[in-house]
Amino acid sequence: MSEMPIDQLDLKRAIAGDERAMQRLWSQHAPHIDAVVRRLCGDPELAADVSQEVWMQIFRALPSYRGDSQFGTWAHRIAVNRTLNALRKIRRLAKLEVDIEDDSAMVEMDSDRTFLAESIEQAMTKLSPGARAVFVLHDIEGYTHGEIGEELGITPGGSKSQLFKARAKLKKLLANLMDESTTVAGKGKAHVAPV
Amino acid sequence: MSHLSEDQLDHLIAEEKARPQPPLNDWRTIAARARDEGLIRETSSPGWVSSQSWMQAAAAVLLLVGGIAIGRTTIGLPSATQNPASVPAENVATTPTSAAAAPQSPSSATASFASLEEASATLDRAVEDYRRATEFLAANNSSGRPGDSAAMYSARLVALDKVFNATESALQAAPHDPVINQYYLATMGARAATRQMVARPVVLRGF
Repeated sequence: MSEMPIDQLDLKRAIAGDERAMQRLWSQHAPHIDAVVRRLCGDPELAADVSQEVWMQIFRALPSYRGDSQFGTWAHRIAVNRTLNALRKIRRLAKLEVDIEDDSAMVEMDSDRTFLAESIEQAMTKLSPGARAVFVLHDIEGYTHGEIGEELGITPGGSKSQLFKARAKLKKLLANLMDESTTVAGKGKAHVAPV
Repeated sequence: MSHLSEDQLDHLIAEEKARPQPPLNDWRTIAARARDEGLIRETSSPGWVSSQSWMQAAAAVLLLVGGIAIGRTTIGLPSATQNPASVPAENVATTPTSAAAAPQSPSSATASFASLEEASATLDRAVEDYRRATEFLAANNSSGRPGDSAAMYSARLVALDKVFNATESALQAAPHDPVINQYYLATMGARAATRQMVARPVVLRGF
């Protein structure tokens, strides 16, 4: 991920409690930081709450930022850690290893057993929290399986397995998008991706 | 039952990665929490706030009027003000000609502020207007003059770089000094506009 170098002056001012400097940091990095929070949570209301915690942690930790990595990368790590911790607290990640072995846990139950995914974002909400975390971190955020293993407390092999299953499920959930792109652009078609 | 291919899924993932997404909260929400936790600190005493506000207003007027005067001189227009400090900041920044024709009393630019916040917001708008106006003039005023050349803009850029570096260094020592802050911001805008001029193949002036 390329990013503008952080303004050192803004950083010093933000550490000193300057609201405008803090706002500039937030404005510059919130789109990416909040995106990963939103994807990991899969629930907009929860994501908004978690995002607040993430930004508080970023501001609290500003004095510890040494510039060894890009600011965005540093803040992104905080975002991932805090979000995964939040998900653990509400037990959405509590049985990740079980999820890996239990295919039925890959997709949260749908009462009518049918689901039309209009976007990958929507389809991701149908993955279990563990599978979604692995998929988001690997395929969207570019983490390695080793890094994911450290974050989630699983083995790299477990991460690979989870990713494989997550991608397989997403391909099913998003099959209607392929049909729309390969046939007449028929909006409103009622393709059903079995779960 | 049809499935996406791996490539198709990868394509969707790439689209998702590139999809712009708005922040989950607005700044006021974040700022309120940060203030509650003491992460946002009010560093100014009331007396300093008052002094800072006055100095900011003074610096803004100085910069805006000075900038406009330089700009008008550069593009060959008559001097706008017998009393430069009398030009209201916002009017000058957005409509320099009309502002030049209707100078107001020195106190009119600041007398109507109801609060420090209002004055500060007005100052922010004025600085932004000033920056946009100078960039617009730089980009659109094409009335040529023999003195204009790439060398002139390059020289101006070098000078502005020095000013920028000087103000930036000054801010390291005095990060909250409003006058230095205003010069720093104004220089940033002027430098950006000059860089545009240097990059343009045709000779344009006005900044």
